Amino acid sequence: MQRFESPQFRSILRSVAKPARYVGGELYAIDKRNEFFSLREEDRVHFAFCFPDLYEIAMSNLAIQIIYAALNRDDHVFCERCFAPDVDLRSLLRKRDLPLVSIETMTPLSEFDIIGFSLHYELAYTAVLEMLDLAGIPLRAADRNDSDPLIVAGGPIACNLEPMASFFDLILLGDGEFQLPKLVDEYREHKVSKGSKYDFLRRVCHMDGIYVPAFYEPRYRDDGQIEEISVVEPIAPKSVRKAIVRDFNLAPIATSPIVPNMEVTHDRMVLEIFRGCARGCRFCQAGFTYRPLRERSPETLVDAAEKLIDSTGCDEMGLLSLSTSDYSNIDGLTRALLPMVEPRHINLSLPSLRLDAFDFDLAERIARTRRGGLTFAPEAGTQRLRDVINKNISEDDLFDTARTAFENGWDRLKLYFMLGLPTETDEDVEGIVDLTMRLLSVWRDLPKERRSKRLFVTVSTSFFIPKPFTPFQWERQISINEMREKQQRLADGLTDRRISYRWHDFESSVIEAVLARGDRRLSDVIERAWRAGSYLDAWHEHFDYDIWLDALSLIPGGADFYTRERAEDEIFPWEHLDIGVTRRFFERERRRSREGRVSLSCFDGCSACGCSVWQTGVCSPSVHDACSDNGGVSC
Amino acid sequence: MLNENDVKYRLILYFARRGATVWLAHLDNMRLFERAFNRAGWPIAWTEDAFNPRPILVFGLPVGVGIETRRDPVEVTLEQRIELKPMVERLNRSFPRGVEIVDWGEAPDTRKSLMSLVKSADYMIEAPSIGQAFSRTFEGGHPVLISWTRKGRTSQVDIASRIFETYVVKKDSIEFKGGAGSDLHLRVDLLLEALVRDGGLSNDDALGARVVRKRVHCDLLPRCLPGSLDKRLE
Repeated sequence: MQRFESPQFRSILRSVAKPARYVGGELYAIDKRNEFFSLREEDRVHFAFCFPDLYEIAMSNLAIQIIYAALNRDDHVFCERCFAPDVDLRSLLRKRDLPLVSIETMTPLSEFDIIGFSLHYELAYTAVLEMLDLAGIPLRAADRNDSDPLIVAGGPIACNLEPMASFFDLILLGDGEFQLPKLVDEYREHKVSKGSKYDFLRRVCHMDGIYVPAFYEPRYRDDGQIEEISVVEPIAPKSVRKAIVRDFNLAPIATSPIVPNMEVTHDRMVLEIFRGCARGCRFCQAGFTYRPLRERSPETLVDAAEKLIDSTGCDEMGLLSLSTSDYSNIDGLTRALLPMVEPRHINLSLPSLRLDAFDFDLAERIARTRRGGLTFAPEAGTQRLRDVINKNISEDDLFDTARTAFENGWDRLKLYFMLGLPTETDEDVEGIVDLTMRLLSVWRDLPKERRSKRLFVTVSTSFFIPKPFTPFQWERQISINEMREKQQRLADGLTDRRISYRWHDFESSVIEAVLARGDRRLSDVIERAWRAGSYLDAWHEHFDYDIWLDALSLIPGGADFYTRERAEDEIFPWEHLDIGVTRRFFERERRRSREGRVSLSCFDGCSACGCSVWQTGVCSPSVHDACSDNGGVSC
Repeated sequence: MLNENDVKYRLILYFARRGATVWLAHLDNMRLFERAFNRAGWPIAWTEDAFNPRPILVFGLPVGVGIETRRDPVEVTLEQRIELKPMVERLNRSFPRGVEIVDWGEAPDTRKSLMSLVKSADYMIEAPSIGQAFSRTFEGGHPVLISWTRKGRTSQVDIASRIFETYVVKKDSIEFKGGAGSDLHLRVDLLLEALVRDGGLSNDDALGARVVRKRVHCDLLPRCLPGSLDKRLE
């Protein structure tokens, strides 16, 4: 606690907003410096878990709790945290020439063995550069030497980090809870052997999910498309397959997670009930990259819930997954959890409920702990377009559910839609207005004594962003003019005073789209944008479109090159990465989308996406005995 | 859940906070306490509000960001009587490092809220040459006006009238009793501002100052806690 006695430290903390972001000291934060530093240097690995955004965002993320617990379990490893400083602290650090330090022991980042970035959205890229630079670490892997820390990255968008490839030594693809500790263990052996960083990368590049960008080299055609991605390190595999946790019941649950002292964005205990998704909504990257769906058993979850309640004292518990109601025994699980949470005034929140699987009895039981709003994500305004995106929910379900909800006193309804989806017409946009107005009528038509007194409807739209490893990875993103036109059309239609309409920024959607399907040439663009002042771009108040446009002038064609529709046979920047789902499957799904044909969920039959090779979860032979090689889908 | 003729049981706990938790804002500090009570299994009573029930906790004074405390009162309402010593020990194990309950006693038998009973507080501030700055600022007994803007309205605050008693003035530290609570509340940041403006304390030293609230004085509390009698209360 000595650092708090330092006037210099106090004066910095008194000069910035929310100093609690930087001081640590939370319950279950680990400080094992005494034991750790008494080990011999080659017997220990000092790991900095970095999240390129502010504390309140970083600590809302489950990844940090999983990785922190998984790494610190090993006495030879000390995993600390380091997050992006807000702009006030950043200026202060620069002005006083102070390095970026870890939260737990205030060790300068440059003194760690490994720095691991957890990446969840593209607009965080410039913060990665800022953090490296504040730490005094050369940005580019090629400019770093053996005495610099190893810079690694992982997370849900690791499946295409090509725009950041020049900055990382290694990228971890897939589930990290087993593979990252294994990698760190390899690093410790590497320290003993006193080899070079290059030796280490060669040594680990065959492990599942370990991708060393420097071992691969894309060659571009004159038009900017990729001609070929070649393997330049002879021993590297041709294609890198993601790491997965095969038995999800064995994946450790952080039952004593760090409990933030200050309020964070998602301030609750989290129970990850399953990983992966069986649905196959064609725009959703997570729905494919996390496949196959793997559940935790109700016993495992109930046991973890009990521990979490006792250890954290939080007043909210969230069940986490991509589609909560798809949990095979959601009824049983909720029934077991409710008696645990009710007497302790704990709210149970179940995000990502799908409409068609929405069981009203279930909602009623949960409502006893929490009377929040009802949230639905139909994503598109017409059945035709919902079929195109494979969002298999029907309006009857929506109206029935809404009616029952209104009758039971619910008075807030949130609706999520996407604008700019492939094949979208004016009629589809009008369809959003129509659907919303008809939902209002459902409420209005109920006798007054049988419905909630008031009704608040929030309609939120985001713009469709084509993402790698989805059936829509070939699609174009609509232009800013089209975005403006569609958003205006919707705003003009949604005039009822009970409805409030929110929409996502046009410009940041474009940059997100550019980066999402970007190639390595964007490293220069990102660095240029960062040098020109881009930082914390996911924050509306910090995002500067002009800086990005200027930086994108380095690329012939600019942003349009990346937001365009891709040729059918185009080689993608992520072609050498393998998340399990095959390109052939995506091609087939894209064709079906164009024909307006929906596809089955994994529960209803195997569509032969490619993930059955893992033979686990929903792909276990016992689940789908009938699953044949070409799947249950006729092409 | 209520026992003993349905009378809920009120209790005052005194807490110290040091280390990292000093940098928490008041609301965060409150939530930290709520969670610690949950973890320690205290039978805290909840408000009856149907939509947003909250555990009943009342802090005597808000804890400002960057202020250490040694004996700040917080009133809790319990559903039932508990055996205090082991439960306080359990609570102390449930706090993050730096927060600790140092004393406790029954709440005063009054309808007045704990906040309205708070009248003054003892502070210790450490900073290079702060003693000289303090003497210089308040010599002569004149008002020391500092303007303070809150919610767009600026008012003049006389700092001198809010220093009730000076205990110790050393070269690098001062100890005094200042006003606290609703009347004549002394904001330590405004005091430091006055010391910079009128006493020659450097701005950096003011920002780096260590501020410790050693004790909070309340009306009525002495009756319950003979050990902490303070007869100088107005």
